[in-house]
Amino acid sequence: MSVAQVKRIAISDSPWPWLLPLVALLVVFTIYPLVYNVWLSFHEFAPRTRALKFVGVANWVQLWNDARFWGALSVTFVYFFVALVIEIALGMAIALLLDAELPGFGALRAILSMTLVIPPAIAGMMFLLLQDPQFGVVTYVLNSLGILDKSTPILATSSTALAGVLLAEIWQWTPFMVLIFLAGLRSLPTEPFEAAMIDGASSFQMFRRLTLPMMSRVIAVAVLIRGIDLFRVFDYVFTMTSGGPGTTTYTLSYYAWQQTFSFLKWGYGATLSLTSLVIIMVLANLFLRVAKVRW
Amino acid sequence: MRDHDRKLYLASLTDKLVKGQIGRRDFLRTAAKLGLGAGALGMGVQRAPFNFVSSARAQEALQPSPETLKWVADVSKPFAGTTLKLATESTPPSNALNSQLKKYFEEASGIKVEIEVLPLEQVLQKLTLDVASSLGTYDLYYIDQSWAASFNQDVFDPREQLQNAALAMPNYNIDDFLPALVDGIAMYDGRMVGVPYDIPIFIMIYRKDIYDELGLKAPTTMAELASNSKAIMEAKGPAMAGIAGQMKSGHYSLECEWTSMLWGHGGSIFNPDKKFVGNDEQGLEAMAYWTELKKSMPAGVDGWTWDGQGQAVAQGVAASMLSWGEFFPYFDDPTQTKISGLCEVAVPPAATSLRTKDQTAFGETPGVGHQGGSTLAVSKYSKSPDAAWIFMQWATSADTQALITALGGGTGPTRTSVYDDPRVKANARVGAGTTRHLPIVRETIANHMGSEPDLPEWAQLSSDTIPVALGKYFSGGYASAKEAMDDIATQVDDVLKG
Repeated sequence: MSVAQVKRIAISDSPWPWLLPLVALLVVFTIYPLVYNVWLSFHEFAPRTRALKFVGVANWVQLWNDARFWGALSVTFVYFFVALVIEIALGMAIALLLDAELPGFGALRAILSMTLVIPPAIAGMMFLLLQDPQFGVVTYVLNSLGILDKSTPILATSSTALAGVLLAEIWQWTPFMVLIFLAGLRSLPTEPFEAAMIDGASSFQMFRRLTLPMMSRVIAVAVLIRGIDLFRVFDYVFTMTSGGPGTTTYTLSYYAWQQTFSFLKWGYGATLSLTSLVIIMVLANLFLRVAKVRW
Repeated sequence: MRDHDRKLYLASLTDKLVKGQIGRRDFLRTAAKLGLGAGALGMGVQRAPFNFVSSARAQEALQPSPETLKWVADVSKPFAGTTLKLATESTPPSNALNSQLKKYFEEASGIKVEIEVLPLEQVLQKLTLDVASSLGTYDLYYIDQSWAASFNQDVFDPREQLQNAALAMPNYNIDDFLPALVDGIAMYDGRMVGVPYDIPIFIMIYRKDIYDELGLKAPTTMAELASNSKAIMEAKGPAMAGIAGQMKSGHYSLECEWTSMLWGHGGSIFNPDKKFVGNDEQGLEAMAYWTELKKSMPAGVDGWTWDGQGQAVAQGVAASMLSWGEFFPYFDDPTQTKISGLCEVAVPPAATSLRTKDQTAFGETPGVGHQGGSTLAVSKYSKSPDAAWIFMQWATSADTQALITALGGGTGPTRTSVYDDPRVKANARVGAGTTRHLPIVRETIANHMGSEPDLPEWAQLSSDTIPVALGKYFSGGYASAKEAMDDIATQVDDVLKG
């Protein structure tokens, strides 16, 4: 290409010369992996021949008949809903509390944000120790309060394992909700609240009639961001329970990882990952429509 | 002084230093007379719990045989500047090689050796990606015994490599590897998948002081194991349980414990028709026994792999365990635990009855002494297979194995001659890096060893299908042991059908 041609392209009105590098990056890092994943879901890796074999829709049929997939899906949904509801409720409560400018609350806001810099896998290891049946602080407190029997290990009992994992999740990510909600609360106009106070509205009435409606967009964004993250939960499960006991804490991401890397079922792993992607996309779009979020 | 006598004298000298019978200054002076420089007597080794390299610091003075290093130097000349890579689990040989011994090989050969120490499942991932892509990222493969069937075509058979006289180490003696291990760990479908590299094996480890206090003797039968554990639990529990287990749901360790119980009650995983028979009469008897035995275990046992189990004994939470012998040197290390010298070892309790190999399938060999272990092999995709073969011979030679063991590795040597090596025997006393458990390990390998079946699907069955269902059973997910075992039988059938 001559210098003149380059100059001509550089001063042209066409956006493509400037967009092409970004489009190339998008193709390499997003489109290609996605297409490859779809292609992989119609194949299976044969360890003996070290080759990918075309299996048609076998992986998708297997998915439909796989009891462990349905179990993992239901665990993921339970995890998603419980964590989201608690994180929103706790996050809003703490944000409302911290919104009051009382002495020490500035430091408290800073401390709260510290949990966010801990990698989830490390937080999982921390809570594994905290819930240890022999010396875990959480176990000790629950035993002392009579909530938990001493012979019941939290993470190794079917009825409590998921709650044990959720504890780490909620501890680490509630502060994220607090920070988002706090920023939202600080940006609300003061006039409607002043008017409501003059009219004699109670604090609860103001919260229900003014704060919540005006915060709805902020809440919706927080729900969207955390919701997508929650659906992909992996680190806590990997470090704390490895999906156990039995399959009590198997989530979709953990199952996909296990099939792909432990059992070399690359095709089925890709199928599970795609399924997870489709579910997240459908749920996110539904939510955007229902919550009327505009970007 | 002959090299052998020099080593023997040095071993006895270091033993005296460890026991406190001579001072550091006397040790250094005498060692200097033996021709050892100050650099060889460095005392700075670090040790983390369960990395299986003991803090028997004085033994650092032990060095590889000069004759062996001369051979390494001579044969490696064409490969100087090469870099070799190995991904391995944190095992005694790998840790000792990585932290203390490979420098001797690197200096002599000019070949750089990079050893990645990873959790077992990550080693499998890296290995799988390497063979699938044929990239040869790793020159040497650490192959767990349960993967031997899957990767037998991706490595060189060491018997064939030995045919190349130009690269063969003098006196490498492949027949020196314990035949039971070659059969149990390394052989698949007529091919030798590397040479036996390490051999963790279940032995009985118990607190002699507690046993003596309660008038108990080392269990010789499965019934005695249960009654002893129960007696301790009743006398000392819940502060101290009778026995520790490795029962984390979905983890390979749970499957290891299960096989020991199963084989110990006359059961087997497969019958000669290649059908899962863990749900037969003997299998259910084993489950009933195990369920009862669990009552004598600490509450946290459902969340423990072998690490938690070992820590339970080390911390005085449990009085015994039927588990990997390589924990023993850690228990004996006074700088790491308070139970140094309080534990003793015994061969595993005798089975109520034992099936023979021809009553099973896929080479399964029942025995209460569940055998783990791995082989070391040269990858077929390696870009420097000859250099890798030189390193592999050195790393698995009798001299290097003796050093690994004498440095306090804890695992049983895989070569017959190493058990009789004076450097190894010199450590057979209470203290860090002890080898006093090795006679029991050797006897267990010879007479009580149980080997898992060899089949490509075994990695999935042993690390998922079986331990996930067992975890579900112990957490109350099945109505009965029969239901759990029947479910496993169905799942195993599905996996085998592909």
